[in-house]
Amino acid sequence: MNTTVRQSTASVKTQAPPVDDSWIPSSCAFCYGSCSILVHRVDDVIVKIEGNPESSVGKGRLCAKGASGLMIHYDPNRLTKPLRRTNPNKGIGVDPGWKEISWDEAIAEIVGNLKRIRQEDPRKLVIQRTTTVTANKNPLQAFAFGFGTPNQSVSGGGLHCGNGAHLISGIMHASWGVVPDFENCNYAMYFGASKGHSAGHCSTSNIGLAADARARGMKLVVFDPMCNFASAKATEWVPLRVGTDAAVALAMCNVVANELGALDIPYLKAKTNGPYLIGPDGKYLREHGSDKPMVWDSTAGAARTFADAKAEDMALEGEFDVGGTRYRPAFALLKEHLKKFSPEWAEKISTVPAANLRRLAKEFATEARIGSTIVIEGVTLPYRPAAAIAFRGNQGHRNSVYNFLAVDLLNHLVGAADVVGSCMGFPPVNHGHPDTGRPSYAPVQTPDGLMEVGSWMGWHHPYPIHDPQLPQTLGLQAVFPMGMTSPLLDAPDREQTWERFGINYRPEMLINWGSNLLMSIANKDTMADSLSKYKFIVSFDLFLTETSDFVDLILPDCSYLQSVDSRANFPTIFSHPSGMGEWSWPIRQPVQPPYGEQRPFTQVLLELADKAGFLPDMLAAFNATLELQAPHRLDVSKKYSYEEICDAELKTNFGEERGLEWFKEHGLIKWKKKPEEIFWRHFIDVRVPIYWEWMVDLGPKVAALAEPRGLHIPLEYYQPMPDWLPCKSHECQQPGFDFFAFYYRDTIHTNSYTTENAWLNEAARLSPFSYTIAINNKSGQRLGLKSGDAIVLESETGRRIEGCVKLTECIHPEGIGVAGLANHWSKGMPTAKGQGVFFNDLLELTWDRTSPVNLNLDLCVKVKVTKIGEAP
Amino acid sequence: MRLAMVIDLKRCVGCYGCQIACKAEHGTPPGVFNTRVVKQEIGEYPTVNLVSLPVGCNHCSDAPCVASCPTGASFVWEDSGIVDIDPDKCVGCRSCMMACPYSNRYFVSERLDYYGDKGPTIIEAYWNAKTQLGVVRKCNFCRDRIMEGKEPACVANCPAIARHIGDISDPTSEVSRLIKERGGFTLQPEKGTGPNVYYLPA
Repeated sequence: MNTTVRQSTASVKTQAPPVDDSWIPSSCAFCYGSCSILVHRVDDVIVKIEGNPESSVGKGRLCAKGASGLMIHYDPNRLTKPLRRTNPNKGIGVDPGWKEISWDEAIAEIVGNLKRIRQEDPRKLVIQRTTTVTANKNPLQAFAFGFGTPNQSVSGGGLHCGNGAHLISGIMHASWGVVPDFENCNYAMYFGASKGHSAGHCSTSNIGLAADARARGMKLVVFDPMCNFASAKATEWVPLRVGTDAAVALAMCNVVANELGALDIPYLKAKTNGPYLIGPDGKYLREHGSDKPMVWDSTAGAARTFADAKAEDMALEGEFDVGGTRYRPAFALLKEHLKKFSPEWAEKISTVPAANLRRLAKEFATEARIGSTIVIEGVTLPYRPAAAIAFRGNQGHRNSVYNFLAVDLLNHLVGAADVVGSCMGFPPVNHGHPDTGRPSYAPVQTPDGLMEVGSWMGWHHPYPIHDPQLPQTLGLQAVFPMGMTSPLLDAPDREQTWERFGINYRPEMLINWGSNLLMSIANKDTMADSLSKYKFIVSFDLFLTETSDFVDLILPDCSYLQSVDSRANFPTIFSHPSGMGEWSWPIRQPVQPPYGEQRPFTQVLLELADKAGFLPDMLAAFNATLELQAPHRLDVSKKYSYEEICDAELKTNFGEERGLEWFKEHGLIKWKKKPEEIFWRHFIDVRVPIYWEWMVDLGPKVAALAEPRGLHIPLEYYQPMPDWLPCKSHECQQPGFDFFAFYYRDTIHTNSYTTENAWLNEAARLSPFSYTIAINNKSGQRLGLKSGDAIVLESETGRRIEGCVKLTECIHPEGIGVAGLANHWSKGMPTAKGQGVFFNDLLELTWDRTSPVNLNLDLCVKVKVTKIGEAP
Repeated sequence: MRLAMVIDLKRCVGCYGCQIACKAEHGTPPGVFNTRVVKQEIGEYPTVNLVSLPVGCNHCSDAPCVASCPTGASFVWEDSGIVDIDPDKCVGCRSCMMACPYSNRYFVSERLDYYGDKGPTIIEAYWNAKTQLGVVRKCNFCRDRIMEGKEPACVANCPAIARHIGDISDPTSEVSRLIKERGGFTLQPEKGTGPNVYYLPA
């Protein structure tokens, strides 16, 4: 049949060789993963981006977003000149009447406002950034600290993605998130998470590790209302009613602890606060004087401090008389508490059959192989090859804290936490490069014997929990010590709240970097009202967005291919997966100059600080946050370029000879991980709290501040042991409101920003789910729907979003799944315009839909479905 | 030697990394995908699965596209069995597209730009200068990369390490071993074209 066969020499064509043909090492910036890349530049044109195989961050491979980066960079809709509004009226779709102005004019106007506000009250300035590019935390934070404002916000970051997951991972695993030890795990249970399936931190590296684990035979059970990413690769998909994760997890904890008795007793004694004695008041018995929590020493027959008793002598069960008062170990209380969560009870709440919950709990406990050990690189370590993993979907509810904690307790009951094969934090221990011993961090023991993180991304450490105080910040964070980002900054009743909490200033100026606030937090009307109250908004952007309608000055930013960063990844609780291998510290470097009048925002911030008179304070903040050391500490009486600051950080960490120029040539530095770093838990004497004793006092203290000021604090959210508490959507009884709508993060997009990327948009348009509203086939048919019909989802508060329905077998009959946040309408993002569904427009930014503990937003909405158009 | 690709559906997570890496490698215009990811539901709720299936030219041993080409533009490389298209010989008659049972050939008749009336981006202009209009396009296993000793872009980039390429005429090669050990299968074998893209079951 081969009528035409060609010899290989026939196709050789000659072309003039390029003058410049280079592969430049740098870093992606399309998600937290920030994978290491090689940028192929031919005669000043970036022709391709590939993964950098030298780096352990991404391991030489890229997801669709990373591979498509040059389409954002070369988008003809990029901003190239500073723009000033001429129309003083701000509103959604109201033309700002943009006028091109010079940088000198722009800087002068911003400096004028900064000087005035700094003199009046620096807290009137709000610094706002997207969380997507982790490297930008430091320059924006240094600017804010230098200026003197505590008001920093990260848009929907935290409120949607991790006030629960990150804080609790910090308390229980000393890290920003958790993932199975893919190299050794045999049985993983996921709850609203898709790590290893093209999502989340270390996304690309984890795809390979998870694939290896599947090939090796790791069983994956996924609890999720929708079967698409992790669930599509699962050995078993367990569909459940939206927002009921805590119910199924607690029922399985009950089976493990009370029906099976499959408990890692030595672990619970030595590595948790399970033995700590709890009094009738719910609090620790403390030694008089030292104030140390006490345990019951079975050998001594007496209460002793946790530091004095041997772990094996500590009682986990029983009741003990100390000084005439009865005390019980925390573990005994937890075990008893779990008894109320029967699988039959959980079935009613979650729709997951009780028999399945019993079976899965048994499988999990069996696979944990309690008591076993394994040798890794010559070191004998506990081996618990089972992991229960939760992330965004699980904790995107009012019951954020318990949904996440309940899942994690499964790990701690069987000792599967930060040991081989188990649920692992992204590595929170680093002994540093062998030449310099930097960067160096590890969790440390608190006075109560618990654990404080060694490395953390902004805000306060997750633990110890400080006492609530009257707030300084507009988000009232000081009142809620277990929260991070706050919806209260933009809430409709914020004015009243500020007044009641004694906030004696109001936000006047906003500096935004790369966030589209109008779409990324909640419904657009609430956000528009909040934004329209600012007197002056400056925004560093690549495109005119929906938020631009409220901005006074737009500054044309450089893309990631035109930018420099000494730390492209937040080291290392963001960028490195679990498991052995290498540490990498990559940089980001410009491979193209700015186009037109574009300027790197980092350099603009330094210039603004200088002209507004606070550059020394900003440099001092850099010295502190980057932990710069002599002789590379910045002299605050001098001026520096951002490149010089990057150089100082690199030399501080990696030695005099390895500054920015060395890194520009090499792209990254790497060194070997040690078992003591990765499986640190066995080596560091810290305990995790399976009983949250601090909640006993914290709830009433928060309530004492908040209740008189109009914020109701339901104390059932502040108990030391978790419970299932319904979302607002579970309480909705209105007829016709039959579905729980939720959104999830699509693998092909990073929130809504990448919908402007023409390659990704094209791929998403061809995907069955990326731009549609997924409804269960039978449920949809009952409503007379067919795929492609135009529908409206209406919330019980009357908010409406539109989109095309996709009927599918891959979703729970009561669930409605929407991929991310899209449907832009800005003329400045014409590719993105009209693509997909704007889920956030259903969300209310109200207190009754906010976790009263960590301020996470409730991201599920009970909706009514109405057909408004036939499929074409 | 006959090159074959093996795509491991157990490892693939449907991330579209291959589809976009291919676009980046070849600068294909809108609507053209030398490889793409198809998603398909199998089963009924709750025992359902969403399968991701990457597809592209199957580089058939008895390629009907080659047989049907009146000008010899569609041809087979003797050194590798790669089915390729010589744009200088292609007259755009699309007989090959009618003959291909897999619908993995694309006819590009006019210039289309990703950002519409803004014209081609710098990167699109770069690729426009290298490619012809009025001809059929498709995957050629990244022959230029293979000649440089590299893997095809989709293979090299796959984060799940789900794609492999190798010599299927060598029974000891990795692709031959994977097909044998894992029960590799081809799409629409009943068409009798002898596809050289194999899939390993999920």
